[in-house]
Amino acid sequence: MTWWVIVIAAGVGTFLIRYLPLLSGTRLVRGEGRLSRFLGALGLAAIAALIVLSVSDLWWQAPHWRGGVRLALGATAVLLVQRLTPNVGLATLVGAGVYGAAGWALAD
Amino acid sequence: MTFERAISSPWRSAGQGLRESLSLVAGYAPIAFSFGVIAVQSGLTPWQAVGISLLVFAGASQFVMVAMMAAGSGGLTVLSAVLMMNLRHLFYGPALATRLVALPRRLVPWLAFGLTDEVFATAMAKGASRPLEPAWCLGLALGAYLAWVGGTALGAGMGAGWTNDGGYVAQALDFVLPALFLALLAQAWRRARWPVVTVAAGATLLGMVWWPGHVAMLVGMLAGALVGSRRARTARAREAMT
Repeated sequence: MTWWVIVIAAGVGTFLIRYLPLLSGTRLVRGEGRLSRFLGALGLAAIAALIVLSVSDLWWQAPHWRGGVRLALGATAVLLVQRLTPNVGLATLVGAGVYGAAGWALAD
Repeated sequence: MTFERAISSPWRSAGQGLRESLSLVAGYAPIAFSFGVIAVQSGLTPWQAVGISLLVFAGASQFVMVAMMAAGSGGLTVLSAVLMMNLRHLFYGPALATRLVALPRRLVPWLAFGLTDEVFATAMAKGASRPLEPAWCLGLALGAYLAWVGGTALGAGMGAGWTNDGGYVAQALDFVLPALFLALLAQAWRRARWPVVTVAAGATLLGMVWWPGHVAMLVGMLAGALVGSRRARTARAREAMT
């Protein structure tokens, strides 16, 4: 199998994994049953799972108390800004800035 | 609502989605940059690196793809690994459809192509407070796609000459995606939904003891959504009031 065939097949396969369920999604939207509630909760569940995955990746890069303090400071900054100004972009950038600054301040 | 709908043209919604993709752009660009660098360092040409981002547009699985190709794995092995990693996206489309004001069939392929983890999470967080225009989702996905392809091109251009100096900016960029997900959680938070969040996070954390991250995430996501689907009617009534 040549290189480009693998890439194109991966692209088409990934697209179909996203496309076919969305195509059938229009029928599911009208339902009020358990499936509809399941799909409604999926977004929040995915966000929670992504937080665990991305934070644990960061933690294992440097599993040390300093890393824990940086994560706590960054997370607090995100939640504080999000609380004060419901602006996801601003909260994200301030949180990242605080995390970076904490890394610099807590360096050996 | 009627007045609001009347003045919001699809182009305007798309522009708004594009503007609101800025936090995604900040998260995607450095990761895509790293992908470009790693792809070139693994022996791909810059065009091949950009080609993968253009055609596949699925972050983590692209890194795995390049690593397996560099290790000389067979085509079918690489392909099945990529598709297995992306299986969690099976659930995103129907979930997104529940949040859209309408789903015109002609837009379905474009919406589907851009349905990455981060685009889905951002759309669902926004959709918790109001129904979403499909054009807004397209604008959001377009911003993310441009950042992904552009970041890959930059990284591939710098190629083997680039090394991470671990400075302030590099450290800050490491936290962009966790910060984005946290802000999205805060935006979508409803008090009555805490069991969904707790179960999804706990199951993902527990799953990571035995499985790779993408499998643990799928398990956590499904466990959380399952709890959400079982909540008693009273909980849903309470949620409507919070």
